[in-house]
Amino acid sequence: MKLVEALQLGGKPLDPDQPTKTLALVCGFTPLHLETFLLAYARSGSSGRNLKISSGLYGDLLGNVDRASAAGPDFAAVVLEWADLDPRLGLRSSGGWLPETLPSIADAVRDALRKIEQSLARLAEKAPVVLSPPTLPLPPVAHTAGWQASGFVLSLEALLAGFLERAATLANVHIVSRQRLEEVSPAASRLDPRMELGAGFPYSAAHADALAKLLWTVLDPPAPKKGLITDLDNTFWSGILGEAGVTGVTWSQEDHTQIHGLYQQMLASLAASGVLVGVASKNDAALVQEALGRTDLLTPLHSIFPVEAHWGAKSESVARILEAWNIGADSVVFLDDSALELAEVQARFPAITALQFPSSNRPDELWRLLWHLRDLFGRPQILEEDRLRAGSLRAATHFSMTSTTGASPAFIASVEPEITLDFSKTTDLRRAFELVNKTNQFNLNGRRLTESDWTNKLEDPDGFLLTVSYQDKFGPLGRIAVALGRKSAGVCFIDAWVLSCRAFSRLIEHQILRHLFLITGARDIIFDYTPTARNSPLQEFFSSVFGAEWKASEAVPDGLRLPRNRFEEICPELPHRIKETAIASH
Amino acid sequence: MLPIEPRLLTCFQMVFPNLSEAQILAASTDTVPAWDSMATVKLFSLVEEEFGVAPDFEYLDEMTSFTRFAERLREQIG
Repeated sequence: MKLVEALQLGGKPLDPDQPTKTLALVCGFTPLHLETFLLAYARSGSSGRNLKISSGLYGDLLGNVDRASAAGPDFAAVVLEWADLDPRLGLRSSGGWLPETLPSIADAVRDALRKIEQSLARLAEKAPVVLSPPTLPLPPVAHTAGWQASGFVLSLEALLAGFLERAATLANVHIVSRQRLEEVSPAASRLDPRMELGAGFPYSAAHADALAKLLWTVLDPPAPKKGLITDLDNTFWSGILGEAGVTGVTWSQEDHTQIHGLYQQMLASLAASGVLVGVASKNDAALVQEALGRTDLLTPLHSIFPVEAHWGAKSESVARILEAWNIGADSVVFLDDSALELAEVQARFPAITALQFPSSNRPDELWRLLWHLRDLFGRPQILEEDRLRAGSLRAATHFSMTSTTGASPAFIASVEPEITLDFSKTTDLRRAFELVNKTNQFNLNGRRLTESDWTNKLEDPDGFLLTVSYQDKFGPLGRIAVALGRKSAGVCFIDAWVLSCRAFSRLIEHQILRHLFLITGARDIIFDYTPTARNSPLQEFFSSVFGAEWKASEAVPDGLRLPRNRFEEICPELPHRIKETAIASH
Repeated sequence: MLPIEPRLLTCFQMVFPNLSEAQILAASTDTVPAWDSMATVKLFSLVEEEFGVAPDFEYLDEMTSFTRFAERLREQIG
């Protein structure tokens, strides 16, 4: 982005009808163009459209971190440079580079990193933080020539690495990848000594642009894709199964087909982090079944579901896989070596991300593809539910997945369902927060919460958080529902209510309402309901609760009221075994 | 190649979006309260982006008006 474009984007007036969000840009230098670019990237996306940036005082990074903590912003970007750790490592200080001063510089760096770590932990309690490690080159302080790494510089790098490793374990702290920054902003063109000495801003405009884009991407990443559908021949493996036979398809370095081995390795890694992996192949089904049974596959068969192998159109296979997964095409990547197949699938599913597998003589393209896949599916952490996802979907084929209703209580009882209701606000809540922010179909209002919104609601003394887990004889689904609300004057207000689509058709939503009435003792529940383009399963459930006269498409400004006696009239027999943990004092 | 003034005017409009064209042509650090040293640095960067020449920071204190920017640019790029 050019500076002139950034100024135009960042200069747009704020929308007075929308809440303003704040981002604390914490650095020790004059933020100048970095602030301009950061604001421009933030305003370009939906989360930052009404964003304001605040910055601190020149030369006081540590104080700026503490001031940002006190202000309690919605987001924070901490941009560290070597000069913040000891001014002698910058251009605007003349503190000396004598060999005998180097140990004192190392001591100062160690001390500064320790203090920053403590302040960072406090800031991360208030807001999500993106931390940029030093991006600028060190000045020539050590005695070695530039082509030889000095022990002094390596000791500074070691101190920094330890600091970053510890910072990465702090909840809410996300660290900019130095490898990615090197790709988009080569180290040799980052420093602008003229600007640093003339204006106290050390970055070239191109570096400020690249770093700002990365900072905002880390703070507000695109939603990760959920599923990957792969072709088999010349994609998952090298060769045509129908011609080469089960033992003739390969994916190894020995067979000079390693790019397929790397791809299988990537699929296994994605599957282990909760990505759904399915197969769409024009092939003989029996042959595919035999080939996928090979024990030397690098993507284990149990992590692939479903397998669509037949001679029909690929788009038909994709349609069936999407139905089995119960997710939209916009959450899915389709990979095939054939441009024709990609076009056929893309024509039927315009929202799908269609990617071509490279030919065997282009390992350079495979390398880029692997990183592209990691970017599309990457997530900050892997939760237990992510590991359970594929197995639970396979088990869910026993239930109707497109509707919240359908299975009879007798059938549900036969699968030995067990629901755990957890009203604790202190246990690991990352999954609950993630569910509220990524569930679309059974979602009360589609509203996304920032981490500060979430923290504020949890700190409300009248507020409650209900996290629901489920398991049956087919295995656990993990935490699949969240209700967030508060109780006041005999009324239970629900601000957020989501149920994972993996848990539809099990009467879990009825069990949740029954227990909310029970635990809070409320006469009425008032839902902060808003119809959205995608919450039709929730609308369908409310239609069954409120009756035919209720209009799902109408927003209800004062909230949708459900009296207790009405709920008891419509609630079917609920066959679940209930476990309750950490019951709130309501 | 466009004449210097209209392109320089665009740079100034980015930094001082509330000023009219006439006000920018007459602008100086004395008449525009928002024109501080950071505004001058932003103008330097925009001028570099637009004209491909980097104004010398030794002239930072002298660049106190639109007219002075235009004169300095003419000296640099002819």
